Amino acid sequence: MPLVARRLLAVAPTVLVVATVTFLALQVIPGDIAQVMLGVDARPEDLARLRREFGLDRPLVLRYLEWLGHLARGDLGTSITYREPVARLIVARMPVTLSVALGAMVVAVGVALPLGVIAARRAWSPGDLAVLAGSQLGLAIPTFWLGILLLLGLAAAVPLFPLQGYAAFSAGPAEWLRHLTLPAVALGTERAAALVRLVRGSVLEEMTRDYVRTARGKGLAAAVVLRRHVLRNALIPVLTVAGLQLGYLMGGTIVIEQVFGLPGLGRLLLQGIYARDLVVVQGAVITIALTFALLNLAIDLLYTAVDPRITYD
Amino acid sequence: MRSTTPRGPAARWRLALLILAAALAAVGVPAGAQTPRDRFTFALSGSPDTLDPQGTAATLAFQVNKSLFDTLVEPDDEGRIVPSLAESWTTSADGLTWTFRLRPNVRFHHGKTLDAGDVKATFERILNPATRSPKRSDFAAIRSIEAVDPLTVRFVLGERFAPFLATLAHGWGAILPADLIARNHEFATRPVGTGPFTVAEWQRDSLIRLSRFDGYWIQGEPRLREVLIRFVPESAVKVAGLLAGEFDAIDAVAFLDLPRVRANPNVRVIRQVTSLVNVVAINTSRPALRDVRVRRALWHAIDRRQVLQTAYGQESVPVNVFMDVVSPYYVSIPDPFPYDPERARRLLSEAGASGLTLDLALPQPYPAHIEAGQLVQAMLQRVGVTARPRVVEWGFWLSRVFAGGEYDLTIIGHTGKLDPDGRLAGYGTAGRNYVRYENPKVEDLILAGRITTNPELRKRIYAEALKMMAEDAPMVYLGTPVLYMATRQGVRNFRQLYAIDTFDFRKTTK
Repeated sequence: MPLVARRLLAVAPTVLVVATVTFLALQVIPGDIAQVMLGVDARPEDLARLRREFGLDRPLVLRYLEWLGHLARGDLGTSITYREPVARLIVARMPVTLSVALGAMVVAVGVALPLGVIAARRAWSPGDLAVLAGSQLGLAIPTFWLGILLLLGLAAAVPLFPLQGYAAFSAGPAEWLRHLTLPAVALGTERAAALVRLVRGSVLEEMTRDYVRTARGKGLAAAVVLRRHVLRNALIPVLTVAGLQLGYLMGGTIVIEQVFGLPGLGRLLLQGIYARDLVVVQGAVITIALTFALLNLAIDLLYTAVDPRITYD
Repeated sequence: MRSTTPRGPAARWRLALLILAAALAAVGVPAGAQTPRDRFTFALSGSPDTLDPQGTAATLAFQVNKSLFDTLVEPDDEGRIVPSLAESWTTSADGLTWTFRLRPNVRFHHGKTLDAGDVKATFERILNPATRSPKRSDFAAIRSIEAVDPLTVRFVLGERFAPFLATLAHGWGAILPADLIARNHEFATRPVGTGPFTVAEWQRDSLIRLSRFDGYWIQGEPRLREVLIRFVPESAVKVAGLLAGEFDAIDAVAFLDLPRVRANPNVRVIRQVTSLVNVVAINTSRPALRDVRVRRALWHAIDRRQVLQTAYGQESVPVNVFMDVVSPYYVSIPDPFPYDPERARRLLSEAGASGLTLDLALPQPYPAHIEAGQLVQAMLQRVGVTARPRVVEWGFWLSRVFAGGEYDLTIIGHTGKLDPDGRLAGYGTAGRNYVRYENPKVEDLILAGRITTNPELRKRIYAEALKMMAEDAPMVYLGTPVLYMATRQGVRNFRQLYAIDTFDFRKTTK
């Protein structure tokens, strides 16, 4: 069986485990959708009636199997709070979350790669130390705080960036970019801070290798050695981590979507948990898990492009 | 060793940056620029879950629905019930038959003219279990609905139910068109009503764009062509947007932000006493708290004014009964158990409850209640009562604290209702209220109030019940906070309707 098919088959059990754990977790936490809906006006008989109407009075196993059956047919169910098919809700939100996650990745790699290489080439110079200190700071700043800081410091003062919301790419790439810039910077900064250390370490390590000395010995310019030899090898671990981080960013958007009022998957998930809307939470978690797994697969396939020594049969 | 800069990639980068700069410059329309005068941008704390008025119990949903639908009757600024889609109504002598005369020539958004059949179909839909409406029980008193003629509709109730009219004025009494109900229309995303606006665009959790419905039944309303409601959870962002001119109005200003907002000459703060009553609720079924002396001691121990003003804002109004000060059913009585720590200690030792340790559940995400909890904890400490604060998530609070009774003390705000029965139903009755408060006399009074239609008599009945409740101290009433909203200077007639907490944009201009 070709690798891609085998790996895709391996994704299924992962998603199943994630779905089961989410389902059980939501059973364990107190409160249900009827309770949250009725709030402090809830009378016991109304709660009982709503639970019956929502099917919450049926056995746990039965409800789970039913949901799995629907999933197998590609049906994610219908949300009780939104009164809409979950698949429709997710499809509307995927572009937002993917845009923010990709934007953050572009920021992270765009900052980390040049800074990491510069820092490595001048290791322990004042510039390098500044990069290291900056990375420490970047790691220490909570994403939501940076987001609010950007909003209040920048968006409120400079009218170029909107305070809230999202504009679809189809509505114009410029508008899309304008709405995406600050969330991407807020979310990407912490990732950049983590990545810059990895790039620096990785490049430093490669530069001590024998092949680098050989290349230098045969008279290649330092920049060429760096570009043609060092970076190629140094980038493999960076690629792995960056790929995983993209998956991580899919979940990391939850906070930033809240701060910037972006209607993404993270916000759907959060609202779903607050409302105890099980099918929404299940649908969102499965989508995130699936994206994560597929990204990992994509990264593995990318290795072959970066490192010709790696092949899959 | 010198490094040479590779030319190709650098040039490409420069090009990319140039394109980026050009793109950003192309959209250089300042986001903070004032919008046209007939377009109004409003920042609301959150998004409706659904636009089907029968599918939700969420205030946020009704805050938007008010602009899309009308009800038979509606509350005015003082909370009095006034005609809306119904021009007039009569009640039979036994209070069981309610006959409404509908306003003629009212149109739905899709062109249909409103008639009695729509009213009948609307309430039959909410009463149908398949609709799964969380608000169905509000209409449980209805036995039958009859379209007498195209403009007359008659409700027959199974029991006398004084709050009936007020129930019809709430957002869940919105009138839907019979033809679309019959076709199982998806009102959740494509609402059709008789309201002043229609939905032009809805991005869940981001914005909803409302367009003026030109066929609205009130001549000259709505005055605005468009209302853009943005859902903004962060209160600091709301304030920043208002000050920058991106928002024309915001639904709430945190009282800590007030000085900053008030100092800005371009904006105006609107102050409104809410219908909330914030309380320290006492689980009266706990052995130590069953003794009324202990509960009164807690009341004596808590400096209510200080808690109220520190946690909920300087202008909050203390109350001594379980009714908001603005309600016509509010009664003014002197503080039954004034702040007196010495007295509290004495009462506690009389009751043999000195050195009591109590659990204090505080609901998240309500920072004001949590702050109030910290103050209460310190005050109780002074009379020898140890309160152990425990911050719990809202869903947890609802199921374990509110429904499950797993608490000694908790702090919460009770929203007001158009009818006092909405607030009081269940108090005094065993197993029907979360403080586990039992008093058959109070129970009887509240049940009597529910079936008494004479307003003066009703007031006297509720006044008696409220006084008895205060004496029994099943909660320490803190008081009613003030809501601060804010608009840009030029905005007129921006209002939130008392008790149903919804915004009415029909007369708004800017």
